[in-house]
Amino acid sequence: MAIDFAFIWTAFKEILKAVPLTLLLAFTPIIAGFLIGLAVTMIRTYNTKFLAPAANFYVSFFRGTPAILHIMLIYFGLPMLLEEMPINLNQVPIALFVIIALSLTAGAYLSEIIRSGIASVSKGEIEAAYTVGMHTFQVLKRIILPQALAQSVPNFTNIVIGFLHTTSIAFLVSQTEVTGAANIVAAQNLKYLEAFIAAGIIYWVITLIIEALSSVIERKAKAYSRTAI
Amino acid sequence: MGKAFDPGLIFDFIPTLAKFLDITLVILFFSILFGIMLGIATAMLRLFRIPVLRQLAAIYISFIRGTPIIIQLFLVYYGLPALLNLFGIDLSRIDALYFVIVTYSLSNGAVFAEIIRSAISAIDQGQTEAAYTIGMTRRQNFFRIIFPQAARIAFPNMANSVIGSLKDTSLAFTIGVMDMMGRGETLIASSAHALEVYIALSVIYYVVVIVLEKGFKLYEKRLNRYQPEELAAVEGGIPVGH
Repeated sequence: MAIDFAFIWTAFKEILKAVPLTLLLAFTPIIAGFLIGLAVTMIRTYNTKFLAPAANFYVSFFRGTPAILHIMLIYFGLPMLLEEMPINLNQVPIALFVIIALSLTAGAYLSEIIRSGIASVSKGEIEAAYTVGMHTFQVLKRIILPQALAQSVPNFTNIVIGFLHTTSIAFLVSQTEVTGAANIVAAQNLKYLEAFIAAGIIYWVITLIIEALSSVIERKAKAYSRTAI
Repeated sequence: MGKAFDPGLIFDFIPTLAKFLDITLVILFFSILFGIMLGIATAMLRLFRIPVLRQLAAIYISFIRGTPIIIQLFLVYYGLPALLNLFGIDLSRIDALYFVIVTYSLSNGAVFAEIIRSAISAIDQGQTEAAYTIGMTRRQNFFRIIFPQAARIAFPNMANSVIGSLKDTSLAFTIGVMDMMGRGETLIASSAHALEVYIALSVIYYVVVIVLEKGFKLYEKRLNRYQPEELAAVEGGIPVGH
């Protein structure tokens, strides 16, 4: 069996059409997950009664189980929960289930990253902010979050890349994102290796672009620390 | 979509599925073992700046970091037989389990290489100089001075990768390996209770992860026993930036 190099290019062009769906499945959960993560971090940092144990369990459970199970649990579990509702679930696109599941996954991972970012802000700065008369929201918005987020850029990049790669399992619930498209092209032509090489290149290039963007953002976000020293 | 939800089934499924935990752990064990060997070798190529091989190592690491594990799995599954066919070796009768171990070893190797490299380069040059001034050989310096300190730095990240790797093994069933997930798929086919199976699987993975985490935490404490209190208290896992 020889590799058909020409077919890699054919497959590449075909699979490229699936990139928007992959990006949608990767970035929507990260944005939603960021909001979830922020809320969860606040609950855990301020140790809110009743909510804090629930938040701890949420983070530990989602970090302790594979993402494929989150997708499957939502895919099979959510319709069961919503059975009584007047929604025709057959009309809900499967992509939405994937997005909901991955948002929950992202929320758990991001909350840990935000938490470690916040922990890196020195206590003295927070006290100083209070002494100049800022209230909690101002301290959070002006002192803690800008530093915590700048601190978190490398971890955040890892999550974005991780989620780009996690979307590949959506093909198991028949989504035609990059891996799904590769699988279809492969099966139609019985050229599996070539199709997956093409898909691999696509993921690799997107990853390299994200890494390049991230190093630019990190330099911008950390600009304050360079001028301060 | 299957039959009505029956919580009692979850408890019936857990022992059935847990019997297949050994396959998952076998994959994990060997891929970590080979991954560490590959990681050390790759890290050395980069640390000692071996020409050509160093660039190849960088491409290997970048590729593994840049592609999903499932794509790597398919590439090995379809690519390795094609590659070895050129040398007249027939792999068509080999169990899919071996392909999974090869893939996860390659994947772990790249991740470990980066962890090991950054841990070793984090050790101050002065430590080596001090070791030489008291008459240690290069070997002694590495095993007594550099390695124990690097291990302490690398350990939390290694532990995280091991846990990540355990969760990644859940994709092995896509090329037909009969691990917990594979058994789960057959159980769904025969019982039509998908949700219960997936809940049972989540419980098993969750318990294994918690056990691993607890074990790693204990060992990390041991590695940190010579550290001053406050430094040892820094939580492992997510690398602390500067």
